[in-house]
Amino acid sequence: MMIRKPICLLLLISLCTLLVAQDAAPGAAVQVTHILGFGDIANNANGDLSIQAGTLRFQKKDGGQSAQINLDSIQRVSTGQQDRQVGGKAAMLGRAATPYGGGRVIALFSHKKYDTVTLEYLDANGGVHGAIFQMNKGQGQVLRDQLPGKVNDLETRNDSK
Amino acid sequence: MIANKQISLGIAILLALSVAHAKPPAVSQWSVQVDKIEPGDVNIEPAFIVAIYENLLVELTKKGEFKQVFRSGDKNATGPLLVLKTTVQKYSPGSETKRAVTTVAGATKLNVKSQLCTADGQVVLERIVNGNVRFLGGNLRATHNLAHNVAAEIQKSNLPEPKAP
Repeated sequence: MMIRKPICLLLLISLCTLLVAQDAAPGAAVQVTHILGFGDIANNANGDLSIQAGTLRFQKKDGGQSAQINLDSIQRVSTGQQDRQVGGKAAMLGRAATPYGGGRVIALFSHKKYDTVTLEYLDANGGVHGAIFQMNKGQGQVLRDQLPGKVNDLETRNDSK
Repeated sequence: MIANKQISLGIAILLALSVAHAKPPAVSQWSVQVDKIEPGDVNIEPAFIVAIYENLLVELTKKGEFKQVFRSGDKNATGPLLVLKTTVQKYSPGSETKRAVTTVAGATKLNVKSQLCTADGQVVLERIVNGNVRFLGGNLRATHNLAHNVAAEIQKSNLPEPKAP
């Protein structure tokens, strides 16, 4: 009985390590929110960002719109962090409608940290484009390591908390 | 009853005529090229720099003040061309959570110097513009508000006519 507990713990740790390793696998799609600037994709669209055959491809979650750029066109990649309220507009209205300042208390606990990856890339005419993606914490660095382009040294946190 | 109908018909015709005679917004002969945003001495996150640039392109296109809006480095940028240079002067990062909890603290503030220059470097318009988010929305919303204000300032100003070639 005494031996089983450490074995279970070891199994759990190795399983977690495997899951993290799967997230970091090159070519694997990362679930992101497109904040702005990537092709004709609508702002705040959710989808998968993947690297396939020398291109960076964003595919919307519903399988509709997609856009891609050549990895060679990427000039600069940088990462950052954002602390955002979760739940969108519906949650915001709910918080506002909560009486006795309860919405403020909810706001205190209903926030989440996200990673952001910012790209600067060139189109066929040489025009500079910028795109911002938001993803779960920890995935930004993984994605940045897979992308070419000069890594921006200027990294600040977009949160003064 | 008939008189009422005639009055409403008259109003409808007047409205239709006024709409037909309304002048379309005057489009300048200039095209504009949006230069990359200069962070200056300010320690600002690259996401904000990119968001200001992209939002400026969207807002300038939306206002319809210029014949064409080009990106920085675009080889097709020709004709009477003004270059929009933007330098960040002040930046306070703010926090969405602080705003949601306190209402009064955590504002994200941006302050930039915007210059419209001709191809030979002459400055035809210079404005200091602010873009803030104080209550609702994420921090990046400040860049949208800033771009909107820059485009509005340009729309309000009287740009000189381009010189004949």
